[in-house]
Amino acid sequence: MSDPELGNGLAAQTTVTVADFARIFRRIQSEIHKAIVGHEQAIEELLSALFAGGHVLIEGVPGTGKTTLVKSLGQALNLSFNRVQFTVDLMPADITGTRVILSGADGRREFSFQPGPIFCHILLGDEINRATPKTQSALLEAMAERQVTAGGVTYPLAPPYFVMATLNPIEMEGTYPLPEAQLDRFLFKVRLGYPGEEELVRIISATTGAPESPVEPVFAAVEAAGAIEQLKRLVREVIVAPRIEHYAARLVRATQPENSRVLGDLHSPIKVDAVTRYVSFGSSPRGAQALILGAKVRALLDGRANIAYEDIDRVAPAALEHRIMLNYAAHTDNVDAARIVEEAVKAVQAARR
Amino acid sequence: MAENRREEQKLWLILFQIKAIRTRLNLLAIQFWLFTTLAVLIGAAGLIYLAAIALNPLLFLTIAILVGIFALAATVRIVRAALRQAANPGRAAAVADHRADLKGRLATVLALAEAPPASSLWPYLVEDTYTLRHKFEPSKVEPRWVSRSIFAPAAVLVMITAVLLAMKYHRSDPAFTADGPPTEVTADLGNLEISPADPSHPANARVYADPATLRQLEAKLAQAEKEDASRNSIARWMNKARQLAGSLQDQVTGQTPGAIPPLALKLQGAKTPPGGADSGPAPRAGDQAGNHPDSASIMPPENPGDGVPAAGGDQRPPITIPPEDPDRLAQNGLPSMPGDNSTGSPEDLGGAKVGSGYASEAGSNHSAGADPEHLFGAPTAEPLGSDSFKLSVDARPIDEASSGGAPAYLPPKVRVPLNSQQWPDEPLARTSVPFDDRPTVKRVFER
Repeated sequence: MSDPELGNGLAAQTTVTVADFARIFRRIQSEIHKAIVGHEQAIEELLSALFAGGHVLIEGVPGTGKTTLVKSLGQALNLSFNRVQFTVDLMPADITGTRVILSGADGRREFSFQPGPIFCHILLGDEINRATPKTQSALLEAMAERQVTAGGVTYPLAPPYFVMATLNPIEMEGTYPLPEAQLDRFLFKVRLGYPGEEELVRIISATTGAPESPVEPVFAAVEAAGAIEQLKRLVREVIVAPRIEHYAARLVRATQPENSRVLGDLHSPIKVDAVTRYVSFGSSPRGAQALILGAKVRALLDGRANIAYEDIDRVAPAALEHRIMLNYAAHTDNVDAARIVEEAVKAVQAARR
Repeated sequence: MAENRREEQKLWLILFQIKAIRTRLNLLAIQFWLFTTLAVLIGAAGLIYLAAIALNPLLFLTIAILVGIFALAATVRIVRAALRQAANPGRAAAVADHRADLKGRLATVLALAEAPPASSLWPYLVEDTYTLRHKFEPSKVEPRWVSRSIFAPAAVLVMITAVLLAMKYHRSDPAFTADGPPTEVTADLGNLEISPADPSHPANARVYADPATLRQLEAKLAQAEKEDASRNSIARWMNKARQLAGSLQDQVTGQTPGAIPPLALKLQGAKTPPGGADSGPAPRAGDQAGNHPDSASIMPPENPGDGVPAAGGDQRPPITIPPEDPDRLAQNGLPSMPGDNSTGSPEDLGGAKVGSGYASEAGSNHSAGADPEHLFGAPTAEPLGSDSFKLSVDARPIDEASSGGAPAYLPPKVRVPLNSQQWPDEPLARTSVPFDDRPTVKRVFER
């Protein structure tokens, strides 16, 4: 049951307007909220990453709806969806696929590639930090290149390709923290916290009573991929003024301890003390890309064709937190990356005035 | 094609509105600079003028320097603030974006107007911004044409005027304003602080005294020159600074030092202080009982005009500081005070002494003239004017504010009738010392 006024026929349109984007985005949000109570910001960041063409790392304690969120997203988008539960004995071929010997009707045997669960539109890697680094890195090529190489043959992944990996911040024993290179490939890191009391009451009533209305797809199955790709192209069209690009660049540099002197519009140096003290490695250039792409989605949602400073500030935590490596002093002083990003944003905000 | 032209027209209108906003912001920045600088300059000038009127030269000089530095620093800061307020097109667009809540639309359009990006959303951005043009009209972005800083110079002017009026009200000294500065002063040499004359100051006083007093004056002057020579350089610089400040005060307050009438100074013999007359600087007049500090301030005020005509033309009331040898002064032809009924006789002068507020000097000055050489034998009559000579006396007032244009306080002349237990002071009759007592008396007075 797709909405003819929204998703259907969108792929056939020559142009998608800013209003279309905002309308479809809100519609997907509302569908997901049929299954997920609360987590408005998390859902918005998740969809922003989808339309920005990135992948999302979801961090949350057990039972906060990580898997339900991803499943409902797949249902709302009417895209193919696979879920892989990462365990310590999971092998790369288990997710990418492998060549197997098949016997033909004529009795001949030949190798044939059997695609793994990675071949889908939306992939949920549950508790990705439980797999070995070897298996984790199997996702690297798929996430970055959107292709899988097996047996010397490269297999492209059908767009839109969207990876959502979940991290369980507790039960760290026997886990393999994601390497920085892999963390950097996630556009956003979304935190799912505990629900509030009202939200918890709604969760109880929604999950222990009669099933409520199911999540309805926003797009028709045949058009979904095309429509989403068109919306992703629209995001890329959003106009960025040079000063905004400089602002994003300054913000990223502000997270780097060796570059924590931020030059503002008035060329007044500002030192971010927290970065100098607590950060080992700051954000990579991918952080700046994430800032701009996320801000573009925010601008479209606001009905604008241009990015404002506020858009950058809004997406900065999700785009930069997982790209900042803290040192031991930060752990000792109980300082997290969220505070570092907050201080960097404040410093750059002050410099832009 | 037509659509492109329409888009260009809309873009031009947007840019024109940004330009209008910029003009208005810059106008306000210029006004801010102008009015605030004016306020600072007026305030500084007013403070310096008030300091010139009310403070002594050194304090005035200090305040003037501080005010000057402050005004200079404030002016620099104002210029910087005005430059910060001044708007280039980018800043004007940013200000309009902020105040009209346009989320960077104007700044983006302005930044990319020269070379529009090849984005399909560029026409949308122009159209979107154009439809919001009512929100960034110059009158809405910046409603004011006149900067609020215009109130600053007005407020400063009002404050300074109020202070000046208050000072004028409090300075209504009837004795001074009625009589003007004195031209004749009688002073006790012991109460004078004498320093070598400044060569730049012309001689403007005639000194009358008996030969002994003149000799004491000479000795005191020599001592002062000797002390002055031994002073360190800081003291000399302080003197120069004081003189500089004084002349600056004269200029600020509009005084003309050349118009000071010549002073007739009648000196009396110095009271011998316990340590001797020449053993150190003269005691400050205010330190002596019954002496008002101004009683020893014989330098005439340098503001003879001061908007108040002197009573009786050029004749100014003489000041007696403190008269303790009336018969000597009488011999020197002390002119009587205007309005005074005395005839200049010793008795009259003695009566004036009682009535002039210096009666207490009679007791404290009993040793004046106790020169051992004069103790024995009758005083010789001095011919009038025979031993007078002209010399430059740099007599400094104790209250230095008086030289800065502020009139010295002169106590009003009050005549208090004597009661039945009081008698007017009369000079002691001279008599010869018994022969046996002479060595004792001589030893006592030579000690």
